[in-house]
Amino acid sequence: MWMYEKRLQYPVKITKTCPQTARLIISQYGGPDGELSASMRYLAQRYTMPLKEVGGLLTDIGTEELAHMEIICAMVAQLTKNLTVEEAKAGGFDAYYIDHTAGIWPQAAGGVPFTAKEFQSKGDAITDLTENLAAEQKARTVYDNLLRMITDPEIREPLKFLRAREIVHFQRFGEALERTKETLDAKNYYYFNPEFDREKAVTPNIQYQ
Amino acid sequence: MNQEELAIASVPIQHWGQIYEPDKAFCRGTIFPDLDKPFYVTETGGADKSASSQGSILKAMENQGKKQEEYSLRQIQEISFVLDDLRLYLDTHPRDVNGLELLKTAAQKRKELLREFARNFYPLTGDCMAEIYETNPASECYCWQSGPIPWEGGCV
Repeated sequence: MWMYEKRLQYPVKITKTCPQTARLIISQYGGPDGELSASMRYLAQRYTMPLKEVGGLLTDIGTEELAHMEIICAMVAQLTKNLTVEEAKAGGFDAYYIDHTAGIWPQAAGGVPFTAKEFQSKGDAITDLTENLAAEQKARTVYDNLLRMITDPEIREPLKFLRAREIVHFQRFGEALERTKETLDAKNYYYFNPEFDREKAVTPNIQYQ
Repeated sequence: MNQEELAIASVPIQHWGQIYEPDKAFCRGTIFPDLDKPFYVTETGGADKSASSQGSILKAMENQGKKQEEYSLRQIQEISFVLDDLRLYLDTHPRDVNGLELLKTAAQKRKELLREFARNFYPLTGDCMAEIYETNPASECYCWQSGPIPWEGGCV
């Protein structure tokens, strides 16, 4: 169950229309490492996580990613507000405009539409948590690349905030991986799949600190 | 456990340390200085320095005579963010007493700020709306749609 809170997690107030920048930023909505795929990935993986606490973490990070998706969409919407056909043409936004006008639609910066292939759910806790570590790094790299290209502080501030969150999430997934390792055979982490061969999982004898 | 092993990734478990004040945490994107790892590109630009300068934005807002509504919303955003970041920490450190202490005070503060904001301006949550009707049962206003639309830049 989700409840909406009527505010953005981090404020977005962009005063200049700039379809060129919207075209880049939209990748963090519908691109391969965007916030949409992040939220869907974590919220899908949690159902079969062997450790309750890790399922809880996936819920909380997945929920935060939904809020990040809202931030990105707000940025795209504000960057294309009052868009004219001339601005769309000059900003390379014409192809998008033909199909979606100024509506918000998930695609990558290169125009590739969002696909469910972007969100990985493998049914193996080690695999999925390792995937998530990589996913956070990939998203950070995209924010790095955006920050290199975009100079307007109104646009940079939310991007900096979102980038910082990727690093925190990486740390938390790393800690979740450590907790999950405690339930495995310490001599061979790959002896069984903790999500599928549940009866083989070891109850951690070390209490959470 | 948390030891390095061959053929599997290891990330050290974080220990509780220094905590940023809510306004600084909000600017930096984390409450933990230990996890604050900026990108050099954003640390050297003049424009960024002024925009994210670590003086309190709340104080600046006060000085600029910003509307009370914007000021109050900023306070809610800051304390809510402390809770967002803390929640993830506690998910992997459920027995951390320092984290729990901060959770208690920040959660209480947020509750008070949300209630005050609903009373003075508009409700941010469904529960806040219920409180408005509780204190004013004669209200004939459906207030959920009051206030600026969050994604239109009205909520700063």
